[in-house]
Amino acid sequence: MANAKSTNALSIEGINKVFGRPGKPTVEALRNIDLTIKEGEFVSIVGASGSGKSTLLRIIDGLLPATSGVVKVSGAPVTKPGSDRAMVFQQDALLPWKSVRDNVAYGLVIGGTPKRDAHATAMRFIEMAGLKGFEHHYPHQLSGGMRQRVNVARALAVNPRILLLDEPFAALDAQTREIMQSELLNIWQKSKTTVLLITHQIDEAVYLSDRVVVFSARPGQVREEIPIPLPRPRDLEVKRHEAFGALVDKIWHLIEHEVRSAVADNRA
Amino acid sequence: MRSFMDFIEGPTRTASLARFMLCAICVLGLWQVLATYVVTNRLLLVPPMDVARALRTEGVSGALWTNALATVSAVAAAFPIAVVLGVGIGLALASSRFLALTVGPMLTALNSVPVVALAPLFIAWLGLGFASKFVIVTIFSIFPILVTTEVGLKATDKILVEASRSFNASRWQIFTTVTLPFALPFVISGIRVAWARALVAIIVAEFFGSFAGFGFAILAAGQSFDTATLLAYVIVLGVLGLVGSIFFEWLERRLAPWRHE
Ligand SMILES: Nc1ncnc2c1ncn2[C@@H]1O[C@H](COP(=O)(O)OP(=O)(O)O)[C@@H](O)[C@H]1O
Ligand SMILES: [Mg+2]
Repeated sequence: MANAKSTNALSIEGINKVFGRPGKPTVEALRNIDLTIKEGEFVSIVGASGSGKSTLLRIIDGLLPATSGVVKVSGAPVTKPGSDRAMVFQQDALLPWKSVRDNVAYGLVIGGTPKRDAHATAMRFIEMAGLKGFEHHYPHQLSGGMRQRVNVARALAVNPRILLLDEPFAALDAQTREIMQSELLNIWQKSKTTVLLITHQIDEAVYLSDRVVVFSARPGQVREEIPIPLPRPRDLEVKRHEAFGALVDKIWHLIEHEVRSAVADNRA
Repeated sequence: MRSFMDFIEGPTRTASLARFMLCAICVLGLWQVLATYVVTNRLLLVPPMDVARALRTEGVSGALWTNALATVSAVAAAFPIAVVLGVGIGLALASSRFLALTVGPMLTALNSVPVVALAPLFIAWLGLGFASKFVIVTIFSIFPILVTTEVGLKATDKILVEASRSFNASRWQIFTTVTLPFALPFVISGIRVAWARALVAIIVAEFFGSFAGFGFAILAAGQSFDTATLLAYVIVLGVLGLVGSIFFEWLERRLAPWRHE
């Protein structure tokens, strides 16, 4: 809900991505993606699996080159990963040999922050993630929900301007997911980072976002952008609003067809 | 009885020690019974007490220590070299496609040759004694280390590398903070296998030709039908193997606790 004259934190201009390896059929993952996200905005992308959502996030993060098109962060083209963006991966990506504290401090230490300062910052984010007392635990000693909170804390600790979240709560049970959603909203409201979230949970997208971008099935294209004019700050109550249900329905109808064709595609 | 079973199957250190002691006592008891009532030909089998006595005699006469010095010094010199070379070659194979495609298959072929069979050749080249033992032990124990190093480095979780790249880590940072720690437990399990092979190699080397060492002593005892002394040295070797194995297993657990839960 940034003010109107704010700059674009992220602009995605004409991104195409075709995967090709010698001797294998090419896969067109993304076609002509145009999308702009304002400073401090919370945007979600929903779409059938295989519609190139993760691929787009990797391109934005600078992990993967686009076949054509550019991604600009605050006007500057992205060529490689940078400290202005941080990513939470679809899979658990904690280093199993590092403690919670060292995992959260990891991005800072890699970026050259002295260990002591990095640890102090890490402790702040561990506390924020509700993991105080677990800083010396190792990932294998934590539950899935706790591990995912560490993943989010690690991304937040580098103080990114843009937070990229790839289905961060997909593997969690419904209750833990709701708690994590509220926590994410809290954190976002406090830090005012720009967030781009991928999810296949439509209600999650509506609950959290200022705008929901619906992707079409492969090749991924922007099918429609739906503004979510629900009042903020939001709590779980908002899910019982009539408007909430209407938005979820609308997006579901948009996506239903795509999901069906994706399923048919995968069967073929 | 029930609570005893619970204890003995438990995960504690005392329980694992108790399991080991229990097993050792059973074996010794069986051995004693076998030697007393079944195999009474003392050329074929001697009771444990005789073996202990032979070990003591060797210790008192000083032969045990001379042989231990010869064997242990050769292994102690060769094994670290094998570790360094093995890890180095494994690293090179994992980081260069060209090397993996050219040198890799050659090493695989070499590995399937029973290198110990070449021992007489090395002895002909390098003479009896330290140099030939050193080379045989190094070559024979290097393979498991280089193989596990290469496998461990290549097995690194892609997503962990990507997470590290996402923080703009340099290639060197990725190597030191992700690839290497991931490979370490693999390398150590390779070293554990290599330790057992090093002991085989040293004995074979000493069988083929040497003036001192456990292999030499075993051969000499065998030729003079001194079964008690022969078994005494075998037991010393067994202990050496066991201690190494327990140590490396412990190290592996320490360095990679997440792989054991
Ligand atoms: N590295 C890759 N090489 C080849 N094809 C890929 C690669 N990564 C993803 N793809 C393909 O691109 C398409 C989109 O994948 P992805 O971005 O993971 O979709 P989503 O996250 O929406 O489920 C899929 O068909 C997938 O198989
Ligand atoms: Mg995905």
